[in-house]
Amino acid sequence: MEKIERLINLTAYLLETARPVTFEQLQRTVYVDASGNEQALHRMFERDKDELREMDIEVRTETLEASGETGYTILRDEYYLPHLELSPAEKVALTMVSRLFLGSGTPFSGPAHSALLKFAFDEKGDVDVDPVPHVHWVGVPRDRRLLEVILDGLTERKDLKFSYRSLGSSEPVWREVSPYGLFNRRGSWYLVGLCHLRREIRSFKLDRVTSDIEVNRKKPHKPDFEVPDSFDLCSETRWEWPGEHSGETVTAQVRFEPRLAFGFSGGGARVEGSQRREDGSVDVTYVVGDPEEFVDWVLEFGAGARILAPSGLVDLITERIRGVLGDGDGNA
Amino acid sequence: MVMLNRIGCRLNRILLMVPLILREEGASLEELCDALGAEREEVLADLDVLFLCGLPEYGPGDLIDRRIVNDRVYLSMADYFKRPLTITTDEALALIVAGEALVGAGFFEPGGPAGSALKKVREIVAGHSRGSIEEVAQHIDVELGSNPGRWWEVIEEGLERGKDLRLQYYSFSRGEVSSRDVEPLSLVSSYGHWYLLAWCRRAEGRRMFRLDRMMSVEIVDPPGDGRGDDGLEMPEVVAEMKPGRSAHSVKLRFSGKEGRRLLEEWPTAKFTDHDDGTVTITLRTRNLSWLSRYLIRFGDRLEIESPRELKRLVRDTASRLLEVYC
Repeated sequence: MEKIERLINLTAYLLETARPVTFEQLQRTVYVDASGNEQALHRMFERDKDELREMDIEVRTETLEASGETGYTILRDEYYLPHLELSPAEKVALTMVSRLFLGSGTPFSGPAHSALLKFAFDEKGDVDVDPVPHVHWVGVPRDRRLLEVILDGLTERKDLKFSYRSLGSSEPVWREVSPYGLFNRRGSWYLVGLCHLRREIRSFKLDRVTSDIEVNRKKPHKPDFEVPDSFDLCSETRWEWPGEHSGETVTAQVRFEPRLAFGFSGGGARVEGSQRREDGSVDVTYVVGDPEEFVDWVLEFGAGARILAPSGLVDLITERIRGVLGDGDGNA
Repeated sequence: MVMLNRIGCRLNRILLMVPLILREEGASLEELCDALGAEREEVLADLDVLFLCGLPEYGPGDLIDRRIVNDRVYLSMADYFKRPLTITTDEALALIVAGEALVGAGFFEPGGPAGSALKKVREIVAGHSRGSIEEVAQHIDVELGSNPGRWWEVIEEGLERGKDLRLQYYSFSRGEVSSRDVEPLSLVSSYGHWYLLAWCRRAEGRRMFRLDRMMSVEIVDPPGDGRGDDGLEMPEVVAEMKPGRSAHSVKLRFSGKEGRRLLEEWPTAKFTDHDDGTVTITLRTRNLSWLSRYLIRFGDRLEIESPRELKRLVRDTASRLLEVYC
């Protein structure tokens, strides 16, 4: 018998049974085809229970009154989807909520999809969800794998290991981090946690992770750390602009030509002020936390936007441009 | 959230499939594939597995019975799986994170219907979740978009009332402003930017418009007739649109993994890692001019292998830019 059949049979039996089932009864039924001695079968049963628990199917243990033996059961109240009894406004809201991550390329999309199917179960067509405004989140496949691993580390509280190139350094360094939280700002994902190398809480931008992320596989089911009570995600993310979280920022000035004068906020920087010039162009002052991100953004405007100050950013941008010209034919 | 292994995923799907089939109206194979996001072969294989399962003593009267007639699926002897499994930890976590994000973006009041609906979800999961889902959820925060632009309200109104919008829109790829009448379909948050997904009447197709590139938006009152809102498939539409036959094949080589960032703009790009640490990326695009501007950020970490035209464009763009600064 295949494992999948065994798990279905085990679930069905323990869900349907009127009184808890002993291991001996399981041996004669669900495990009748399985080979091995009693100990081996018991270990198999324990692994199956773990497998079901990971899907939120809890096998409960009871002591049987008559014999004093241990009995197993799955409580129907725990297994079955309860009736949610949602108001029409709540149904509309929950529809919008479940749609947000559908097909998003994040690890949230699959679970959001199955949740939506479950909510639709008690629908009697009394609420038309078709006109509910669609709001969707879209990511990239690259995020997905890293995010899954991070979520795993977060829930199981296991340490993570990855190679990371920090802002301003050219060489990546291996980091070991106890993951405390995960957030997204301006479309970029950040992992926040205790960095074992620096011995302090740091934020790591996933774009700068240069390897796969490994979860500590030692001692599974046993947390590597506790998140300290004093940890507060909000205070870690309350910066208005990214940057290696050092609070160091630079003030920059950019001139936009007239046709671009409407769309000058972005680049992960805060607009401090703007001044329209006689020829229709606009000079905008920014507070910049992540110079690289900012320079990338300004480059998108081509010759329509020009960094006026500070000289450090001008150097950074000209370095990029020269880099491109320097490639290949050597006539930089 | 534990990444379910293959068996876990499959068991999850089967336990959701049975209740879908056991509803009064039953289910066709096509409906099942759609609902479960699975291939026909996978669904058929799952049904084959169910056929072998049941209750002790596993005699003919104890096993689940499966029939497929004219592509419609019927099950019997599986009433214990008639109601779906409760909301799982993964599902609740996804909903809570999504709900908080929508509240944060201003779609719902903190104490509004989304909050009260999610409270019910939380109560269900509190009884059985592994670990503390509240603690994990508290430590995840997703910001949908930092710059909704000035036209948010009028766009929302158009979406809710099903009205057309007239946009004055700056196209980065063309470097010009144009006027377009569109039927709004959805708001999309991607890489920190808000987009409007809409049916463009001029182009007669779905297009994405970035909210912070709209110079003005107004509601117009033509007929809200047929359009393309049947099944919104998000990921593809964010790409630099469908390339078509006139697209250029582009091959780039990067000195490291940073080239993968191109996936943000071209999710369909293909990359190959080489032993020496360099990465080759191939993609198709109609718009070399925008790509050339985009690529300058990579400086000397990038080498353009083909086409020649792109190489020339990048050099031209870079030289022009350098003149601006020197």
